[in-house]
Amino acid sequence: MVQEEHVVDLLAAYALDCLDVDEKIQVDAHISECQQCRAELQTYQDIVEVLPLAMQENTPPSGLKGQILRSARQSQTRPVAQTRASWWEQLAGYLRQTAPVWGLASLVLILLLGVNNLFLWQRVNQIESHSQAPFMSVSMTGTEASPDASGLLVISRDGEHGTLIVDGLATLDPTSQYQLWLIRDGQRTNGGVFSVDQEGYGSLWISSPRPLASYASFGITVEPAGGSPGPTGEKVLGGDL
Amino acid sequence: MDYTRLDDELLISLVQQNQEEALSVLYDRYGRLVYSMAYNALQDQALAEEITQDVFLRIWNKADTFRAEQGKLVTWMTSITRYRAIDVIRRQNVRPEGNQATWIEDPGLDLPSGMDVESEVETLDSSRQIRTAMAQLPDEQRLVLSLAFFQGYTHSLIAETLGEPLGTVKTRIRLAMQKLRQLLQEKDHL
Ligand SMILES: [Zn+2]
Repeated sequence: MVQEEHVVDLLAAYALDCLDVDEKIQVDAHISECQQCRAELQTYQDIVEVLPLAMQENTPPSGLKGQILRSARQSQTRPVAQTRASWWEQLAGYLRQTAPVWGLASLVLILLLGVNNLFLWQRVNQIESHSQAPFMSVSMTGTEASPDASGLLVISRDGEHGTLIVDGLATLDPTSQYQLWLIRDGQRTNGGVFSVDQEGYGSLWISSPRPLASYASFGITVEPAGGSPGPTGEKVLGGDL
Repeated sequence: MDYTRLDDELLISLVQQNQEEALSVLYDRYGRLVYSMAYNALQDQALAEEITQDVFLRIWNKADTFRAEQGKLVTWMTSITRYRAIDVIRRQNVRPEGNQATWIEDPGLDLPSGMDVESEVETLDSSRQIRTAMAQLPDEQRLVLSLAFFQGYTHSLIAETLGEPLGTVKTRIRLAMQKLRQLLQEKDHL
């Protein structure tokens, strides 16, 4: 039953959430059935939304940020989702420093034998927590053609879509663009074309015919503007899921 | 990888992937805003820090509950902060001194924090508008607005706190909001 009396006079206070409970109940009941008052309420809610822009600002203590980041690290409720490439790279980098001649085989051996080096233990722990977790991001590294480039491909939680961010790529002339390839069983599927700005930065929302998480690897090549049916140009970035 | 140039939505999706750097950039962007919101509500530095931490940890752990189509991140964050602070006031029965200057005095004074690269211009415009409009309200209206907005006081609690008749408080709140709406609508038509 629509109440006969509109509640116009109470809507501003309702938007601010400062009505006493009896009036709040009255407004709740009324707006659930009155389009006109709901519209009026929205105009006040728009005001409430911008009120924080008019407040005095205070500078938080300088230590607060570090404290928050530390707590975040400790409170991690999701499995660690650092990219495979990044820990792999760090580990490889560590090995290169300590024993430049060691290859991947020795790395595997180290892991098998067990290590009591704290750094390596941390990495191993991450690897373990990883094996139970679906991979949701892929770190892309520059090829010889573009050693300074890096990229990150973030896959949505459902594995369907994703976003690509790249940094450090050369700015192309307008006749060329970068193209992302989604690779699976040796087949390369178009993942979209993009350009980068003066500083080599670009991003792309990836739409793909199959769930993104079903591809094994990703590559980026230089192609004629608008893209090619298959890769023709030089590969600049690559990464594996 | 330079995260500082990413928009809020992308940062949130990176936070969902546990990219700590993304949380760090979000803090640089909105930490001051969240802290100020909490500080204005509670007028207490330790409590404001605690709430700021809660809000960012909630973003860290529950980033997936944010839906970009339902509004901007900054709105989501200020509203979480506000309700979290009001909850502390109501539950712990904290009675902050509500008559502190919580609204900015000079509309032209420094820019608000909390700017996403995409919405910078838009944010700047709306902040100038709301500050200018707020500056035009009589002091007693600014005060009731502050008690309602920051402290979450109800009409009757405001009346009790200020020793004013309930009807007077209701009228002030209504007039203040009507005036703000009118001033902002006029701005829109310029
Ligand atoms: Zn109505």
